[in-house]
Amino acid sequence: MSVGSSTGFGTRARDLLTVDRRRILVTFGAAILVFLVGAFLHPGFASAASIKAILVIASFVGLVAAGQTFVLLVGGIDLSIPWVLNAAGVLFATASLGRDSRAAYALLLALGLGALVGLVNGLCISYLAVPAVVMTLAMNGIMEGLTLGRTQGLTCETCRSYAPPALQSAIHAQLAGIPVQLILWFGVILAVTFILSFTTFGRKIYSTGSNAVASYLAGVNVRAVTVILYMLSGFFAALAGIVLVAYSGQATLGLGDPFLFQSIAAAVIGGVAILGGRGHYLGAVAGAISLIALISLLQAENMPDYGRSILYGVAILVVLLLFGREERT
Amino acid sequence: MSDMPRGTATLSPFSGWRHSLAQNMSFLLSFVILAGLTLLYIGLFHGQLNAYPGTFEWTSVVNTAVPTVLVAVGQTIVVITRGIDLSVGGVIDVSNALAATHMKDSLASMVGWSLAILALGAVFGAINGILVAYGRLQPILVTLATLAILQGLAIWILPEPGGLIPPSYSNTLASTQGPWSLCFLALVAVAWLVLRRMTIGVRIFAIGNDESAARAHGIPVRRVKVIAFALSGLLAAASGLFLAASTTGGDAAAGDVYILTSIAAVVLGGISFYGGRGSALGSIAGAFVLTILTNVLFFAGINPLYQSFFQGVFLVIAVFLGVILGRLVKAST
Repeated sequence: MSVGSSTGFGTRARDLLTVDRRRILVTFGAAILVFLVGAFLHPGFASAASIKAILVIASFVGLVAAGQTFVLLVGGIDLSIPWVLNAAGVLFATASLGRDSRAAYALLLALGLGALVGLVNGLCISYLAVPAVVMTLAMNGIMEGLTLGRTQGLTCETCRSYAPPALQSAIHAQLAGIPVQLILWFGVILAVTFILSFTTFGRKIYSTGSNAVASYLAGVNVRAVTVILYMLSGFFAALAGIVLVAYSGQATLGLGDPFLFQSIAAAVIGGVAILGGRGHYLGAVAGAISLIALISLLQAENMPDYGRSILYGVAILVVLLLFGREERT
Repeated sequence: MSDMPRGTATLSPFSGWRHSLAQNMSFLLSFVILAGLTLLYIGLFHGQLNAYPGTFEWTSVVNTAVPTVLVAVGQTIVVITRGIDLSVGGVIDVSNALAATHMKDSLASMVGWSLAILALGAVFGAINGILVAYGRLQPILVTLATLAILQGLAIWILPEPGGLIPPSYSNTLASTQGPWSLCFLALVAVAWLVLRRMTIGVRIFAIGNDESAARAHGIPVRRVKVIAFALSGLLAAASGLFLAASTTGGDAAAGDVYILTSIAAVVLGGISFYGGRGSALGSIAGAFVLTILTNVLFFAGINPLYQSFFQGVFLVIAVFLGVILGRLVKAST
């Protein structure tokens, strides 16, 4: 891929960009390859309806991966995602009481909860020097305990509430043949790409991730950037929780469990460096699509659960060995 | 207190006890927290039942803590090299499942399978280490992937919870008659103190402190990393065996909870996630803190649903205290 063909992710060092962009294209290529193999094995796997269904499942991972990508880009990690997602989903359902009139209130409340949890994570990590792994791990436990305790294990009176019907039908609707859920994801992709590639805040994220000390000396408020990114991670986890509840109708416990590893895997497969400073959300998007397409294919093959788990691990290792190796020191 | 995580007093611009206190603050704190919690447990127990915890209670505490201790000591070794091992849960799953499905009630079978499972754990760990060191991959990603593989293997071996552990095996390893399993803890603690002073122990710390400096000094960084991960796998397998013995059955998902508890124990034990400092003795204290905390919450009448909330809050406060106290002592020099 030549520099000239680039459509402009910003003004970062161009030679570095081509490597990273090639990686994103390769990941999209991998997704297409999975669909082609699937179409070969199962006629109909790559039909429009099937692709749409797979993309919708990938969009849930993709929403969570947006937040995870933000914190990974500064060398952090968010392990609190499963129960932030779950707590926001439960709060959304219980606060709305299944009424459309309370939908907006419940929506804001749940999104606010996600951002608030992210704020606490970010403050403790950047101002109190608690390691990110420890802080977000502890926060996951805190949110789990709060969710279980406050709802008495989801047996409370309001816990049986459904998501507001208006939102349920909205999320299942299609606009010009495209599911609204996918349009929402596309909006998020545009917004995150805009932030990362076309704003000074995006530039600050990459500079903080590459070298926090140098960024600080250059006048970047490294701590504030870190706090905002953890807030965004909490926000996107909450958004995914709300969308999942609206999609399935009711909140359940353990809703968020698969999303921790899948969000990290999607980001890493898509070329986001876990030590920070490199990668793009578009890569994580491609990673989420290839990951979910692969899992769907294995399901279509009637692969038992344990086999899927093993292949999933092997697939991540292969991708890592192909692309994730550090420079030789 | 001969096992100071880092005796760097002579190398440092600060000298004397203050510096060493600051350096070891979170390590010392883990024992202070353990003592405080134990007293609280005894007090609450007495308040509820008008008696002091006896042999039965202490045996139960020790037997619950041992699997966490074993896996946490392995995790400590990896964290000191500046890594992390998420696959320990999978290694416990596989060891637990293998023991429950294959062990027969004969001495040869019990010893044979125990040794085989321990060796297998070490091999799994070494594979992690090879991928990290020779594959130049991030430990968190490698062990995330191998975790998925091991979890799959465990379910393949033992699709549903069950199987049977020979009663004599359970009675030997996890006797309910008295806290005899403390012997294993003493063994692990002594092994740590020896390891710490062996060449490999020094090298593990050196890598965690400054990998490129260690390499420049001729330390075979990659081989040491493989050994560190292998030790973690070995100890996780031991944890799986003990867990099988104390629950007298197998469960292919029994190990999953130990991923997080091992990390929490390491954190409470004052081991730095930035590598190069910490003592496994701290993690042993941390593992006991987590176990006793569960009992304290129970006797304090706290709804078990809130348990993980208090554990999380407790973890944050402990880490925060370690950081703050260390800074205060340093600032006062």
